[in-house]
Amino acid sequence: MESPNLQDQKTKNREARLFSVGILILLFMVSFFPACEVEFITRNIDLEPEIVVEGFIEAGPEALPAYVILTRSKPFFSELSPAELDALFVRNAVVTVNDGQQTTTLDELCFNELPPDLRRLAAARLGLNPDSILVNFCVYIDLNAAIKPEAGKSYHLNIVAGDQRIEASTTVPAYVPLDSLWWREAPGKPVDTLLQLMARIQDPPGQKNFYRYFCKVNEGPFETPFSSVNDDILIDGKTFDFRLIRPRQEGEEFDQSTFGLFRTGDSITLKWTSIDEAHFNFWNTFEFNKGNQGPFSSYTTIDTNIKGGLGVWGAYSTGLYRLRVAR
Amino acid sequence: MILSTPFLLNNGVLMKKAFLYFLLLTLSLDLLAQQKTFTLSGYLRDSLSGETLTGANVYVRDRPQIGTSSNHYGFYSLSLPAGEYAVVFSYLGFEDRIETVRLSQDQKLDILFNPGIQLEELVVEENKSLEQVQSTAMGRVDLPTDQIKRMPALFGEVDVLKALQLLPGVLSADEGGAGFYVRGGGADQNLLLLDEAPVYNSGHLLGFFSVFNSDAIKHTSLIKGGMPAYYGGRLSSVVDIQMKEGNARDYVVEGGLGLIASRLTVQGPLVEDKSSFIVSARRTYLLDLAQPFIRKTDFAGTNYYFYDLNAKVNHRFSDKDRIYLSGYFGRDILDYRSGERDFALRMPYGNNTATLRWNHVVSNKLFMNTTAVYNGYRFRLDGEQDLFSFRLNNGVRDFQLKLDTDYYPAPGHFIRFGANVIHHRFTPNILSGASGETTFTNDYKPKYGLESAVFFQDEIRISERLTTNLGLRWSRFTQIGPFRDGDKVYDDFEAVKSFDGLEPRLFLTWMLNPRTSLKFGYSQNQQYIHLVSNSASTLPTDVWVPSSLYVKPQRGNQWSAGWYKTLKDGTWNLSAETFYKSLRNQIDYHETYTSNQSTEIEEAFVFGKGQAYGLELFVQKSRGKLTGWLGYTFTRSWRWFRDIEQGRKFPASFDKPHDLEMVASYQVSRKWSLSANFVYGTGRPFTPLRSVYFIDQDLVTRYGPRNSARYQDYHRADFSANYTPKPDSKKAFSGSWTFSVYNLYNRKNPFFINYDLDSDLSAGRAKATAYQVTLFPLIPSVTWNFKWKS
Repeated sequence: MESPNLQDQKTKNREARLFSVGILILLFMVSFFPACEVEFITRNIDLEPEIVVEGFIEAGPEALPAYVILTRSKPFFSELSPAELDALFVRNAVVTVNDGQQTTTLDELCFNELPPDLRRLAAARLGLNPDSILVNFCVYIDLNAAIKPEAGKSYHLNIVAGDQRIEASTTVPAYVPLDSLWWREAPGKPVDTLLQLMARIQDPPGQKNFYRYFCKVNEGPFETPFSSVNDDILIDGKTFDFRLIRPRQEGEEFDQSTFGLFRTGDSITLKWTSIDEAHFNFWNTFEFNKGNQGPFSSYTTIDTNIKGGLGVWGAYSTGLYRLRVAR
Repeated sequence: MILSTPFLLNNGVLMKKAFLYFLLLTLSLDLLAQQKTFTLSGYLRDSLSGETLTGANVYVRDRPQIGTSSNHYGFYSLSLPAGEYAVVFSYLGFEDRIETVRLSQDQKLDILFNPGIQLEELVVEENKSLEQVQSTAMGRVDLPTDQIKRMPALFGEVDVLKALQLLPGVLSADEGGAGFYVRGGGADQNLLLLDEAPVYNSGHLLGFFSVFNSDAIKHTSLIKGGMPAYYGGRLSSVVDIQMKEGNARDYVVEGGLGLIASRLTVQGPLVEDKSSFIVSARRTYLLDLAQPFIRKTDFAGTNYYFYDLNAKVNHRFSDKDRIYLSGYFGRDILDYRSGERDFALRMPYGNNTATLRWNHVVSNKLFMNTTAVYNGYRFRLDGEQDLFSFRLNNGVRDFQLKLDTDYYPAPGHFIRFGANVIHHRFTPNILSGASGETTFTNDYKPKYGLESAVFFQDEIRISERLTTNLGLRWSRFTQIGPFRDGDKVYDDFEAVKSFDGLEPRLFLTWMLNPRTSLKFGYSQNQQYIHLVSNSASTLPTDVWVPSSLYVKPQRGNQWSAGWYKTLKDGTWNLSAETFYKSLRNQIDYHETYTSNQSTEIEEAFVFGKGQAYGLELFVQKSRGKLTGWLGYTFTRSWRWFRDIEQGRKFPASFDKPHDLEMVASYQVSRKWSLSANFVYGTGRPFTPLRSVYFIDQDLVTRYGPRNSARYQDYHRADFSANYTPKPDSKKAFSGSWTFSVYNLYNRKNPFFINYDLDSDLSAGRAKATAYQVTLFPLIPSVTWNFKWKS
C-alpha cells in the first residue's frame, strides 16, 4: 500500500489508489483480451498562454534565498526541443518581494550566463543536476539574501512581465518540528538492506497545521515523494506515528518490493516543513492532478494563489534532520 | 413524541384533507352514475406457472374503448351496465380468451392464459397492440423478460438494464456501464424499484453488469415520459421491476453455465396453487478459477467476485388476501493482497432489500396493497499494512411503509391513491483507522431524514376519444435528528429542516382514430436525495446525500407530446415523442475539489440548473418470425452552475445528440433463433486540455472548458444465436446453447483518453502523447442453459 503517512495523505492516496484499483480490476478482466491503445490527436484550443509562477521563500537552517521561476504554459504538443523549452522562460520581468517594510527586487539569473562554479552551486541549491541541464534555466533570485524570512510575517510578490501584472501573498507559518525519528523493519518480509523510516509528531491542537517534507539521499538533490503534503484535520492535537516515504529518484522505475524504503548505509537529510493553507492547497491539487488518470478520473484543477497567473508563491518554515540508515 | 412533532402533524392534516376529497368524489361519482352497473373482477394468470400477469387487457369485444387492464398483482375490475357481453382477455405472448358474460350481478371471473403459438400468426389480434395507443401512459415501455432474453449481451449475460438502454430516450454513457440517463436526467434521477424496494446501486464490477438477474424477473416497465402521481422521489424515470412469484404448479430448476458467470433458479409450489417460492442466484467465478495459480504468486488471496441472490415466497390465503415476502442480496467483493510488503485491501459493497406485501381485495372495486420495505446499500473499504489500518464506509438504509389503493368506482374511472413514508439513514464516508497505538477518525455522523408523500390520481375516460390521467402528489422531506450543527444539538426525530412541494401530473390522450392517438403530458417532480459523482462514470465510492440545511431538493418539470400509431393488425407500432425538461438545484463539485475524506462533502457542492429537450422516433415490429425495433433519439442535455466557469452552459457528461438503435430477432426454425443489435451514437463529451505547464520540472495538465470536446462516435454491433437441440422434447430436462459475440466488427470505441507526459525541464526533455484507450474488443461467449421441470 502507499505510505501510511499522516492520515490525510492516506486518504488522498486511497482515492488515487482506488482509481488504480478500479483499473486493476479492469486490467484483470481485460488481460484476457488485447487492450487497445490508439494515438489520439488533440485539437488545440486557441487561448492565450498563461504565466506560471513557482516562487518560494524559506525560513530555517541552510535556507535557500527567495526565488521565483517564471515560465509560460503551452498548448498540448508532441515534443519540444531544448530551444523551445528555452523560450518557455519569461525573461526581463520585474520581480519584487515586499515584507511590509522593504521591497527587494530579485535578480534574473540564467544558467548559460553563469560561470561554471556558480552554475554548479546554483544547480545544487535548486536541486538540479548541473551536468544534465540542457536548457537555459532562468530564475529570479534574491542573490544578496536581503530578505530574511520570519515566522508570522507575510510576503507580497509583485511581477511585471511585459504588459502583464501578477501578484500573490504568502505567510511564513510557525514551525512544528518532529518529535522523533526511528528506523523500522520493512513491512511484510524483512530484507537485510531495506528499512522504513518512522516519525512521530505532536500536532498543536486548535490550529490548522499543514506539512510538507523533502528527502535527500546521499549527495542527491532534495526530492519530494508522490504524496508529500498533509493537513491535520484528522490528527489535530494528537501525537501521531507515521511512515515517511523515500521519494523515487530521477529515472528510478517503480518497484513495489522496494517502494518507499531506504537502503542501509545511505545518508539521509530530511527537510520537514510547515506551510500555510494556500500553499497546501496548491501541492494537494497538484498531486491529485498528477495521480489522476484513467476512466474513473476527475478533471482536477490545480489551485493557485497567484492573481493573474498559475502556480504558487509559497513560504516554508523548515528544519533539517540528518540520519544514517542503520538498524 | 413522534406525533407531536410538526411534520407528521402536517402530514396527518393533509391526509385527512385528501381523504375527505376522495370521499366527496366517490359520492358524486355514485350519484352521477346514470345506470346501475355491475362489476366483473378477478385475477389473470399464466396457466402453466400460475404467475399473475401485469397489464393484461380486458375489454368488450365490440366496444374496445370500454376496458381496463390488470394491475401489478394481476387483479382487474370492470364495471358495466347490466347485459350480455363478449369480453376479451388478452396479453402479448398468450392466446386471447373471449368469454361470454351475462352481467346481472357482480361476478368474479379468474382467467388462466395459455401461451400463444410463437412461430406463426394464427389469429389476427387487432387490439393487443392498441394498448400503447390507447393508454394515457406517455413514454412508457413494458419489457417482458422473454423478450430481453433473446437479445445478445455482454459476456453472454442477459441484462435488463442493458436492454432498457437499447430503447430511445434511454442513454448509457459508458462502455459496458449499467448506469443510465433518461431524457437528460442524471444517473441518480431514476427510481429503480425491485418489488417496490428502491435499489441504490445498480451495478456490479463498477457498473459493467447490473444487479438484476433476469431469471428471477417477471416484468420490467420503464416510464420516461412523466411518471403518474403513483410514483415519486426521483425526477427522470421509473424502472419498475417485478420478480416472479414462483411456479405454483410445478417444480422447476433452471440455470446456465457461462464463461464468466453462472446462474441457478429453483422455484415451485409450497402448497399447490396457494403458495409458491422462487430462489435465484448468480455468481462470477473467473478469478475463483484462477485461485490455484494466484496462490503461488505474491498476490495470494487476491480475488474479485460478485453474487446476487433473489428469493421470494408468497401465500394466497383466499381470493381476497395474499401476502408476498421477497428479498434481494447482492455483493461485489474485491480482495487485493500483496504478501511481500504485507499489504491488504478489501472492498465489499452491495445492496440488500426485503419487501413484505399484503394484497387485500376490499370489494370488487377496491384493491388495496400494503407494503413494508427495508432496503440498504453499503460500501466498505478496508486496508492495512504493518502497524497501519483504516476503514472507509458509506451507505444508505431505508425503512418504508406504503399504502396503495386501486379503485374502480364506475366505468370510465380508474382511481389510485395512497401514501408512503420512508425513514432514511445516510452514512457519509466515515473514515477510521489506527497507526500503532493512535486511533483517528473523521468522526462523521450519519444524517437522518423522513420522506413522505400522499398521492391521488384518476384516469378518466371523458369521451370515446379523450382520456385523461389527472394526478396530484404532495411530498415532504424533513431532515431529523440526531444531528449536530455547530453548537446546536437536535434530538432523535427532532426536525432540523423541512422541504415540501406539490407535484401535479397531467396526461391526456386523444384518439384520432382507433389506431392513432396524440398524447400530451406535464409533470412536476421533487427529489430529496442525491448522488453526486466526481467522475464521468459512477463509482461505488460515490455517496448518496440527503437534502439538508445546505442542500436543497432537486426539482424538475417535464412537458411532453407524442403521436402513436398501430398499423396493420397490430404487427407494427410507430411513435414519435418530443419533450422539454427543466431542472433546478442540480449539484456538482466545485472546480478545485479533491476527494479528501476529512472535509464534509456538502462543503464541496455547488448548485445550478439543467435543461434537456429532444425527439424520439420509434418503429417496432412485434409479431412474426422477425421481430424487433428501430429507434432514433435526438437529445440535448445541458447544465450550468454559477460557480463553475462563471455559469457557462456546458453539455452534461452523458449528452448524446444522436442515438440510433436497432434490435432484431429472427426465429429461423424451432431449433434456431438469431438476434442482433446495432447501436450508433455521437461521441461522449469530455474536457480537453487547454495547455500543459511545468511545475517542479514536471508537466501538468490544465483543462479547457468543461465538456467542450467530444470523443469519436460510438458504434457497435452484437450478435447471438440460440440453439435448442430438442425443442419438442417432452422430457423433464431440456437444454439449450447461446453463442454470442459482443462488438462483432471489433470497433475500437474510445473508453477514455490517457495523457502520457514525459518531461524533465532542466534535462531538456518534454514529450507528450495522448492515447485513446478502448476497453472491449470483439468478445465471444458461450453459455449452456438448462431447465428441469417436475
